[in-house]
Amino acid sequence: MQVTEDLVRQVILDVLGAMGADAKPANGVKPADGTPLNFRELGVAKTGTDRNEVVVGVPPAFGTAMTSTIIGIPHSDVLKEVFAGIEEEGLKPRLVRVVRSADVGAIAHDAATLSGSGIGIGMLCRGTSVIHQRDLQILQNLELFPQSPLVDRAVFRAIGRNAARYAKGEQPDPVPTRNDPMARPRYQGLAALLHNKETQHVKLGAPAVELAL
Amino acid sequence: MITVAGVDVGNNTTEVAIARIRGRGDVEFLSSAMVRTVGIKGTVRNAVGIIDAIDRALAPTGVARKDLHVVLLNEATPVIGDIAMETITETVITESAMIGHNPATPGGQGLEHGRTIAISALDGQTPSGGPFIVVVPGEVSFDDAARIVNAAHARGVPVVGAIVQKDDGVLINNRLERPMPIVDEVRHIDRVPLGMPAALEVAPPGRTIERLSNPYDIATLFGLDPEETRRSVPLARALMGTRSAVVIKTPAGDIEERRIPAGKIILLGHGGRRVEVPVDEGADKIMETVQSVYPLEEVQAEPGTNVGGMFEQVRQVMADLTEQPVTSVRVQDILAVDTFKPQQILGSLAGEYALGNAVGLAAMVSTQKLPMLRLARKLEEEIGVPVQVGGVEADMAIRGAMTTPGTRAPMAIVDVGGGSTDASVINEAMEIKSTHQAGAGDMCTLLINTELGLDDMELAEAVKKYPLAKVESLFHMRHENGSVQFFHEPLDPRLYGRIVVLSPEGWKPIATKELMGKIVSVRQGAKRKVFVRNALRALERVAPAQNVRLIHFVVLVGGSGLDFEIPKMISDALMDYGVVTGRANVRGSEGPRNAVATGLVLAYAQHHGG
Repeated sequence: MQVTEDLVRQVILDVLGAMGADAKPANGVKPADGTPLNFRELGVAKTGTDRNEVVVGVPPAFGTAMTSTIIGIPHSDVLKEVFAGIEEEGLKPRLVRVVRSADVGAIAHDAATLSGSGIGIGMLCRGTSVIHQRDLQILQNLELFPQSPLVDRAVFRAIGRNAARYAKGEQPDPVPTRNDPMARPRYQGLAALLHNKETQHVKLGAPAVELAL
Repeated sequence: MITVAGVDVGNNTTEVAIARIRGRGDVEFLSSAMVRTVGIKGTVRNAVGIIDAIDRALAPTGVARKDLHVVLLNEATPVIGDIAMETITETVITESAMIGHNPATPGGQGLEHGRTIAISALDGQTPSGGPFIVVVPGEVSFDDAARIVNAAHARGVPVVGAIVQKDDGVLINNRLERPMPIVDEVRHIDRVPLGMPAALEVAPPGRTIERLSNPYDIATLFGLDPEETRRSVPLARALMGTRSAVVIKTPAGDIEERRIPAGKIILLGHGGRRVEVPVDEGADKIMETVQSVYPLEEVQAEPGTNVGGMFEQVRQVMADLTEQPVTSVRVQDILAVDTFKPQQILGSLAGEYALGNAVGLAAMVSTQKLPMLRLARKLEEEIGVPVQVGGVEADMAIRGAMTTPGTRAPMAIVDVGGGSTDASVINEAMEIKSTHQAGAGDMCTLLINTELGLDDMELAEAVKKYPLAKVESLFHMRHENGSVQFFHEPLDPRLYGRIVVLSPEGWKPIATKELMGKIVSVRQGAKRKVFVRNALRALERVAPAQNVRLIHFVVLVGGSGLDFEIPKMISDALMDYGVVTGRANVRGSEGPRNAVATGLVLAYAQHHGG
């Protein structure tokens, strides 16, 4: 089949239309479910002084314009699992919205910089996540979970747990990363669209906002 | 005037000394070099490494390889050591009778007992039925579990503790109105028997359980008679040192420490003496027997057992190497060491480990000098320079070591290599006596690998050789002696928070939950068990009248002389004997290296001259 620019444009428009209209994307992916989260904004996020906290950074669209990950885990469940992982280790989670970027490394690094323990978790609406430390460069990481379709509830829990263990100065076994060669062909188009959607909510230069649920 | 090369092929390194000989005994050393040995010592594959080493040594001297008068090769004592690990005990739970493990984060604390009950059955219970210990499978989320328990508490149903499948202990406890001890991460929760009397203990952070690891406390809780109490001892032992534990009394439940029949070693001494010793009697018994039978003619092992298999393998390797029939290869020394091996408890509920006793065995085989002659011929073909095999390795080593400033006869050398520990002694009359002992560096590596459960011999080797540090932030690390080192550039994030081996080829993180102090003590213990013990054993065998006190100087040669703690350990052990102990400094410049190569050149000069 001849693939022309018009054809690609048409396909993208179709997909976008389908998603916007009745939230029923192609590829047999489960429709997005989950309701918007009831965030309270507590003003500009400040750098913590508590060694006992792990800061979780989310992008602007998280739980608002978008409400579930690429495989349909509601954002409320994402936060529940990550927070549970942190709490089980005896630490306190703190939630911030990073407004200036939709890049997972930047979000995670901003979270780590705000964190009293120096450990932060950054995640995108579609599920891609990073555990970061404030002394690292943005493009480095302690643990990276790049394939959003493979980040399920158990992985979110483990991300919270390991971040808390780093914050305690322990030496956690890295969460086993899975790899699915079919994730790319199956999800890349969708991931690109989700990324575009997410990016529209970015306000360059805006400070991070402290959130409460 | 002639130029000669002395070459020493060792198990790990090939060393070369280049010297100019002007007349009888008039020697000027020009250079030396060291490379890794290619292939097993004594095989023709070594030639590649030897040529490389000679070329490197010749490079600064300006002498061409073809201008060498002769290449002197050590008559390597073909000693092969092999090692094996034999587990002699294992812990078996015959029915689900206990859980004792170290979940990182159990919930609550204290000791409670009651009957086990499924969380789904809690709703219908009345206050009079309890006390209960509730069993929570993974499908039930932590908030649901907490809600159900809180509801039961509200109705007055005494729920006193919980056994949880997922890592939810703290989460559930945080949501309870009345906190209670919770043991979590119990993987095989479906095997927990329901409706049975159970006791559950969680220790406060930093402590280990005290009651369920005591047989009399178990007897008190379950009303056991003396016979039943006796049977609960392995159970109590298995729970020692854990942070949390559950003991469930089942009608037929039992736990035992089983001894595995590990086979026998048969020691054959001079004059047809024959002594058998079972491996499961432990290392001390084996070594005592070896000492009583010494000198050994041959060591055999019971066929069809693991030890038998190990001895078979050593013989086979040696036979292949020397092209001798397997039957003519004799094992001439063994070293047995007691060790521990973390083993999964059979039939356990939470994947618990117990330390099983094990015996590590090193065996040594010595054969004739045949392979060296073949190597010499091959080398001669390759480089077109005459090659001589000369001098027993130990004799050459001691000649070389004698060039260390501040030594004189009577003197002994100890050479701890990879496969064997060798010692020789030279008396005032310049007579040399030497011995080879099984067990050296490889054995030490095996012990470290096993006791730490690393499952990575290369990493174990690094742990053996280099000190440790804990990377506490990206800009500083704490060394094993407590000193702190800061860095200007951030460290690799993969090292963050980890214990690393400071190997010169790059720092390696160790994947372990053990504390740094534990790793250090395992490492030092392994070195003591192998190196110190073997050095003393070897010296006793060569010392006049078996008395180490009659040796005045002991010099350590070979690679292990460069180790950062072995010389100190051996020196500490020999302090008691009033012996001057230290690392060799061959020719006053080479350190513990190059002793044999130097000795070869000196011996040649004494006999031939320029």
